[in-house]
Amino acid sequence: MEIIHLLLVDDEEDFRTTLAGRLKRRNMDVTNIGSGKEAIELVREKSFDVAVVDIKMPGMDGIETLRQIKKIAPLVEVILLTGHASVEAGIEGIKSGAYDYVIKPCNVNDLLLKVEDAYRRKLVEKGHTQEE
Amino acid sequence: MWKKLKLFKRKKLNQGASSRNNLSDLFRFKYSCFKMLLDSNAEFLKIITDIEEKLRGQQVFGMSYVKSRSAQAVFHTLRMVKNLDDLSGHRYSLLFDVLEKINVKIKEILSKRKEIPPTELILPYCQINAEMMDWVGGKNANLGEIHSRVGLPIPGGFAVTTRACESFMADNDLFDEISRKKMEIDPDNPETIKTTSEEIQRLIVSAQVPATLEEAILLAYAKLAEADSKGQSPNSSLRVSMRSSGIGEDSELSYAGQYLSKLNVPSDRLIQTYKEIVASLYTPRAIAYRLNKGIRDEDIAMSVACLQMVESAASGVMYSRNPFNLLKENIIITAVWGLGPYAVEGVITPDSYTVGKNRQTIAAEISHKTVQLVSKPDGGLMEIPVADDLQDKPCLLPEEIGILAGYALKLEEHYGCPQDIEWALDREGRLLILQSRPLRVADYGKNYPITPVLTAYPLLIEKGTTASAGVGFGPAFHVASDEDLLNFPDGAVLVARHSSPKFVMVMKKTRAIITDLGNVAGHMASLAREFAVPTVVNTNVATTSIPSGMEVTVDAYSGRVYLGRVPELDSFQITGKSPMQGTPVYRVLREVSDWIVPLHLLDPKSPNFAPPFCQSLHDISRLVHEFSYTEMFQLSDFVSDKKGVAFKLKGSIPLDLYVIDLGGGLTETSVHLKRVSPDKIASVPFKALLRGITHEDFQQNQLRPVEFKGFLSVMREQMLSPPSTVERFGDRSYAIISDKYLNFSSRVGYHYSILDSYCSQTVNMNYITFSFKGGAADDVRRNRRARAIARILQSLDFAVEITGDQVGARYQKHELPLMEEKLDMIGRLLQFTRQMDMLMTNEASVEALAKNFLMGNYNFEEKILRK
Repeated sequence: MEIIHLLLVDDEEDFRTTLAGRLKRRNMDVTNIGSGKEAIELVREKSFDVAVVDIKMPGMDGIETLRQIKKIAPLVEVILLTGHASVEAGIEGIKSGAYDYVIKPCNVNDLLLKVEDAYRRKLVEKGHTQEE
Repeated sequence: MWKKLKLFKRKKLNQGASSRNNLSDLFRFKYSCFKMLLDSNAEFLKIITDIEEKLRGQQVFGMSYVKSRSAQAVFHTLRMVKNLDDLSGHRYSLLFDVLEKINVKIKEILSKRKEIPPTELILPYCQINAEMMDWVGGKNANLGEIHSRVGLPIPGGFAVTTRACESFMADNDLFDEISRKKMEIDPDNPETIKTTSEEIQRLIVSAQVPATLEEAILLAYAKLAEADSKGQSPNSSLRVSMRSSGIGEDSELSYAGQYLSKLNVPSDRLIQTYKEIVASLYTPRAIAYRLNKGIRDEDIAMSVACLQMVESAASGVMYSRNPFNLLKENIIITAVWGLGPYAVEGVITPDSYTVGKNRQTIAAEISHKTVQLVSKPDGGLMEIPVADDLQDKPCLLPEEIGILAGYALKLEEHYGCPQDIEWALDREGRLLILQSRPLRVADYGKNYPITPVLTAYPLLIEKGTTASAGVGFGPAFHVASDEDLLNFPDGAVLVARHSSPKFVMVMKKTRAIITDLGNVAGHMASLAREFAVPTVVNTNVATTSIPSGMEVTVDAYSGRVYLGRVPELDSFQITGKSPMQGTPVYRVLREVSDWIVPLHLLDPKSPNFAPPFCQSLHDISRLVHEFSYTEMFQLSDFVSDKKGVAFKLKGSIPLDLYVIDLGGGLTETSVHLKRVSPDKIASVPFKALLRGITHEDFQQNQLRPVEFKGFLSVMREQMLSPPSTVERFGDRSYAIISDKYLNFSSRVGYHYSILDSYCSQTVNMNYITFSFKGGAADDVRRNRRARAIARILQSLDFAVEITGDQVGARYQKHELPLMEEKLDMIGRLLQFTRQMDMLMTNEASVEALAKNFLMGNYNFEEKILRK
């Protein structure tokens, strides 16, 4: 598998940097950022494969961030992360095109496998769009 | 239609590694969709079962239950739809709209009922009833119901509401703080859960209870002490028990025993103890449990039951009916000296009194009681000897027995079902009720209450399997076609060869259901339980021994059917209304469940088995589940016909097996080859699996002696139901491989199995997931086979889940040699199961087959199973 370009968006800095560190060791190029607004800027500038976004953030929340990301770069697969939000948010998220919804704390290996699956989905969907 | 595949056609699959990578990614992507879909399907079916249980009305629940369960049901259905849509190259987008329509309906129903949470921090029991579950938890709600609605005496006390808990948590910003601490948890490492649990509990116990709450608790306690003093100076030494009354306690998702309860709490420890009980929301067990179940912290809250300590002179348990013989309408009371735990823990034999409905004692067995449990002055409990003159004395006087029996009758009448009650006799001679809950009469497979054989009446059927407990009487009516259902007379007993969910059409009319064959875990059984129709399946002889029109009594407690009316059973018809059934909350659940639970899409071959005909979430999930298997095979079928991509495997393999190499799975390949021999396989997991499939014991290919009945059943199934999947290529198996990866899907007759595995030197990346579905033979055997396979896989250390006739199993993160060993075993299991249905002639065969397999007997004779 190629190197996956991952964007990690979470307002909890400790969590973000710990997770980014763990994922970097797994052949991933991880960019991490603390707010939805900044994430949107990054998505405009750089091409990502997968974004992992916390649902509950001050300012722009995870669902809105997901929608904006999808607007700018429809092929980026977004995994929503939540320690807080409700199943309703999960429903909203999937309706808005999220890849899946993960409850934290989650096991890094499981998240990694999910990121890889999301990446494969991106490749497959990309194949479609080239088709059409 | 096949947009996704055009891509491969154009790119000429047989050239270059990059397209192979594409194919590899495509397969692994498809499989990940399939896996998520199956996960959500299993969750969804659990939710359905839980809702059905609640609809029987004997468990207390609140609006928050209805809301969260509905949302979970929508979420998992949506996740299934999304993954099927992704899997199929977006050919099922229509289902999103179908689901959204149902979701809108559900939301409408839920928004009609606005819950106004009480603002009180403290509530006395005279103001509490069952509907307040959300604010005071199960334990308090039940106590309040007993006191305020049934009008029975309970210990003095009060409830500290969930509102109080929220204000305590919010006042200290505890939720955010806890959330941060929970980041440290690695769910796979129990040590991190333990450490985090300790930190969170320390945090809660050291937080400050808001002044308003502290005052409220102390004031309520002062009132209690005053009431207890009976006009004297308030009893400041009054001790209370403080028990957790968690939301969701006493229900299916019971946290029973997970939270703290403290006895003998003195006044100066009230506030500290309150905090300790709130903190017990975060014991390691509770944290792990919620992580496991995906329950959010926001969905939990803690209410506390604060009750005056009853210095019991005697205490015990009481059943409003004989739990082992429901025919006996006698009340059973057990009693010991001192505190109650000794009445149930078997430390000593309690007195046992049998009391008639007229409250007269019928029999009393007075036991020899040498010790008793009492409160220690400084808190806690201790055992002390019973005074010599009391050791052989009855704990209860005849009039006390009469009063208790009266309470039991009232409770059974109020709750509409037999009750299991805890009582205590205080030092002043007052009898108090401490707790009452339904006597479990529907614990399938557990200690099932029995009804004795009544020899005075002709017995038509001696033994069937109970699918839904109860008793029903009426004239038999045979159902063999849809037309019979249309003509079904009101008040008849339905007799049929097979169980069928279609019977739901007449479940409001029928008194009971009896079938020759059927499955207690099937759709019909769950519908029967939902409609409370007494149902006996698996009788084998109902259609042949009960002619239409014959009046019969069905005893679905013990699986018997009698000729004519049986007055003894007749009187045992508990159809009382439960307290939940009249409540607004219950009505909302009933209404919402109409969009979630009913299953209308029963037949995959019907033209109506399509998105526009989905009327419930259950319909959608059923459809998605069926289509997902078809999708998984279509791509394989397609690719296997491409030259240079798929190779037919040569050699003595008893399967029509095609191999698709995604890269590194074969030692050498050539576009010109159509076949490949097993020695060319380099894929680690595939080699291991083949070792099992080609195990020498299966090579003899001997025809096993088939029991005639079993053979006929398989034949009949084959004649009656052609497989519902696309049969363009008939039975085929596919191995999609790379050097470390295997996806093995096999379609043999009516059963599908899909195995997905990754085997490498990196232990953490290694996994095997295996799912198995369908099969020839009838429902009962299918379910038996699922259970036998589950037994085997469990013994092989897989984590296993069964839903109906589908088995899902996982084995992950083990060393390579172990992975290979398990794959070898699954290979053998696949061969073994091809003939399994034929042998599933009785319940004992489940265990016997599993045992034989595990012992390595793959070619055992029928007679072994007869033992």
